[in-house]
Amino acid sequence: MSAFYDHFSRHSHGEGLKAHSTHYCPGCGHGVAHRDLAAAIDELGIQDRTVLISPVGCAVFAHYYFDVGNSQAAHGRAPAVALGHKLAHPEAIVISYQGDGDLASIGLAETISIAQMGLPLTVIFINNAVYGMTGGQLAPTSLMGQRTTTSPTGRTAAMGQPLRMAELIAQLDGPVYVERVALFSARERVKARKAIKQAITHQIEGRGYSFVEIIAECPTHLKMTPQEAEQWVKTAMEPVYPLGVKKDLTVEPWFKPGAPIFDPEAVLGLSGAEPRRDDEAHDVPPWPAHLPARDIAIKLAGSGGDGAQTAALLLTRAAIAEGYDATNIPSYGPESRGGTSYADVHIAEREVLNPAASEPYVLIAFNAPSLAKFGGTVPAGGLILYDSTVITTPPALPKNRRVIPVPFTRIATDLGRPMVKNVVALGALQAALNLLPEGSVPATLHHVLKDKPALLPLNEAAFAAGRAAVEATLVSA
Amino acid sequence: MSALLRPKPFLEPQYCKGCLRCIEACPRHCITPGTTLNSATGLVPVELHLENCNGCSLCLQACPEPYGLRLETDRPGPEGDFVLEDPAKLFGEKCVPNHSEGDLPDDRIPLPACEPMVLKGTYAAAIGALLAGCRHVFGYPITPSTEGAELMARILPKLNGSFVQAVSEVAAVNMMYGAGGAGLPCMTFTSSPGFSLMLEGISYMIGAEVPGVFVNIMRGGPGLGNIAPEQADIKLACRGLGHGNTRAIILAPSTPQEMLDLTAEAFALSFRYRNPVVILGDGYLGQMTGTVRLPAVMVRPGLPAWAVWGDRAHQHNLISSIALEENDLEAHNEHLNRKYAAIAACEQRVDSHLCRDAEVLVIACNTPARMAKGAVQAARERGVKAGLFRPITLWPFPIDALVEFMSGVSRIVVVEAGPGQLEDELRLALSHAGIAPPPLTHVRRCGGNLPQQSEILAGILGTKEVRS
Repeated sequence: MSAFYDHFSRHSHGEGLKAHSTHYCPGCGHGVAHRDLAAAIDELGIQDRTVLISPVGCAVFAHYYFDVGNSQAAHGRAPAVALGHKLAHPEAIVISYQGDGDLASIGLAETISIAQMGLPLTVIFINNAVYGMTGGQLAPTSLMGQRTTTSPTGRTAAMGQPLRMAELIAQLDGPVYVERVALFSARERVKARKAIKQAITHQIEGRGYSFVEIIAECPTHLKMTPQEAEQWVKTAMEPVYPLGVKKDLTVEPWFKPGAPIFDPEAVLGLSGAEPRRDDEAHDVPPWPAHLPARDIAIKLAGSGGDGAQTAALLLTRAAIAEGYDATNIPSYGPESRGGTSYADVHIAEREVLNPAASEPYVLIAFNAPSLAKFGGTVPAGGLILYDSTVITTPPALPKNRRVIPVPFTRIATDLGRPMVKNVVALGALQAALNLLPEGSVPATLHHVLKDKPALLPLNEAAFAAGRAAVEATLVSA
Repeated sequence: MSALLRPKPFLEPQYCKGCLRCIEACPRHCITPGTTLNSATGLVPVELHLENCNGCSLCLQACPEPYGLRLETDRPGPEGDFVLEDPAKLFGEKCVPNHSEGDLPDDRIPLPACEPMVLKGTYAAAIGALLAGCRHVFGYPITPSTEGAELMARILPKLNGSFVQAVSEVAAVNMMYGAGGAGLPCMTFTSSPGFSLMLEGISYMIGAEVPGVFVNIMRGGPGLGNIAPEQADIKLACRGLGHGNTRAIILAPSTPQEMLDLTAEAFALSFRYRNPVVILGDGYLGQMTGTVRLPAVMVRPGLPAWAVWGDRAHQHNLISSIALEENDLEAHNEHLNRKYAAIAACEQRVDSHLCRDAEVLVIACNTPARMAKGAVQAARERGVKAGLFRPITLWPFPIDALVEFMSGVSRIVVVEAGPGQLEDELRLALSHAGIAPPPLTHVRRCGGNLPQQSEILAGILGTKEVRS
């Protein structure tokens, strides 16, 4: 009896008889199942490792009685809480003890999804075909024709037909052991006790998820004596909820998670952090005097796959590496592929204050819709670069903007890889804007491609070709 | 064991509810319905006639009461106490490591100096969490927060941690209830509609005093709204964390750097107060890439004494939000109120810019605070003494610092990418502090639009708002 507290001090502060009696009605199946569970915990010697989850329902007060770690959960959420406990401490034996409203109605999503995950947890499901704690309402497992306070003339098909949870759980791939048992006779009670022990053993051995459905008596809400209720479970419930082992897989123990790692090198490495490079320390270059502001907004716009996002990120990294402040905000349409894709980059001498670019000083347009959409947002004196390979007839653009058509795609194609057109565009930007030092973007390319050195010459060539293309137009102008 | 040697049952009649389930269970008909009403219970207990009893114990398996039918070997000792056998004697010492009593403290591990990183806000929050010792992340995909979860899904398995994509946000928050109840730091990434779904669980976490960190990258609402940035969950976080008497520290970062710093800080706060902590970012902040410098230390979390861990040292612990008796629940709420008062007194955080001599005080948080800072600087260039007051904690609102700046303030301009929820927090804080606010105007955009610097400047200057 040691799995029960020797004094139920949480039950009405353990005053009087409540120190040793439950809140359950006379003859309640929960009480029988509690003794079975306590016996299993005792026999398996797991009392100090056990965490019992008791969600809303009549068993919400299980923590009054069981001298184990206890967590009381919201209605239907016990398996999710159980999973949290198991993943936090895999050595703990986590048992979720749920009623039919909890498990088969409000918590159905948690019940099925967590059973299918298959982690070693044990779910004890008390199916007594009626809501107990709220006072006798229709349960998902109420029988056809059963009168409850919310099915006063009897359950009809339109109210939903009884859910056979053990069969439902057994057909999932996650669980290793599923059995339905009953409490209405000595013979069935022996089997119930064995099933609970078996289910917990599967968890102790790390074999997987186990589920025991117990069809049980609720004499109070069936409006029967305990003996009548036992008979009703036997004659009315059992035909709907046939007893027996529904699933019992032979699975080798597999659940042996390692201890979480707190090694700084591992954490930093996986986070993408790099050790400080003292040798490269340099002063922040003076902000170019030819620029009209100390914060320059650059919008890169195209369709998905044009590489606008990658180019924006390269530009941001390059500016930050120089010691400027820079931000990049990507924006996509709802399409997962294709569709619109643009990025707002800001580069500021000290601090970016307005990270959006609703009026960008520079627009780099990779396609005609982007040029049409954003061309008009560039203020007077601003710069527009566009891919003249794909935009053969540009829309009318406002006056007093520097508009430089550059065949990004053709240049990239000539280099053998059309996809480097975005780096061609960055080269063009370098020549046209002259914001960052000349070697800045190439150095960033060098850095981001350090694990793919084969791609570096192509990208360097693309950057140089983009620059050259704009420099040629500047000379010719 | 021979039938003759098997212990027989006994019954203390006051623990029998007279359900009679044992009668049918006994193959030898040793139990009969009682005839005497028990004066302590008002029930009629069964009667035992054990002449033919062979100690089969089937009656015990039928009895629903833990202290109903028991075996003679379990009969209380003469002093009336129950003598329990030491499980270690019966089963040997357990292999489970036992912690000593009290909290097992966190380890703080120095980090080598690193290059500044270029990170988007959600990634910065994720790395902040990793450095704060979080190895358990539960979530459900929702734009624009998902990248944080995706990064965790890539990294955590390599650190023997867990990322679980739950069946819903409802399940995710309850996984946090479990892992947090076990005493470990855990978190989720979500966005407005998902945060709505988590509120039930947050109420339970607050009631049961379970720590956990929620990164909510707010988006446009109501309903499905859109996936653009909007500061539309300030009301929900500050005033509506599920049912009941709920409060949590609400942190409002404005840069990717703060996404990292405040997320890491959130774990410390969450455990210090045994309460969830919410990071409210906006959609811009979640997606925006910027410079992020890493801290000098990382944390290996310890284990609090209250954890339901699943070992002997924590066996008697309980995580629960139910208190059936009125006085118990009232006492629990008074305890929570004392905690909220301590938080309000100790955890107000603010960033102020040019507030000392400000006549026009601009109040903004998250990304709009950046635009507001630019507008304040522009106003100063025009000779207007403007200042930016940026609450970092939205609850508790940093009213103490605000009061200090208020003496010279002739006007307040509240800047929001949302429908006025920050202004409501401000007005409530002023009201609770007994301060009549000076004339108060606002610059608001919503639906995914952010107030631009020019609009804010117009608001500061008191000129007609111009949407350029």
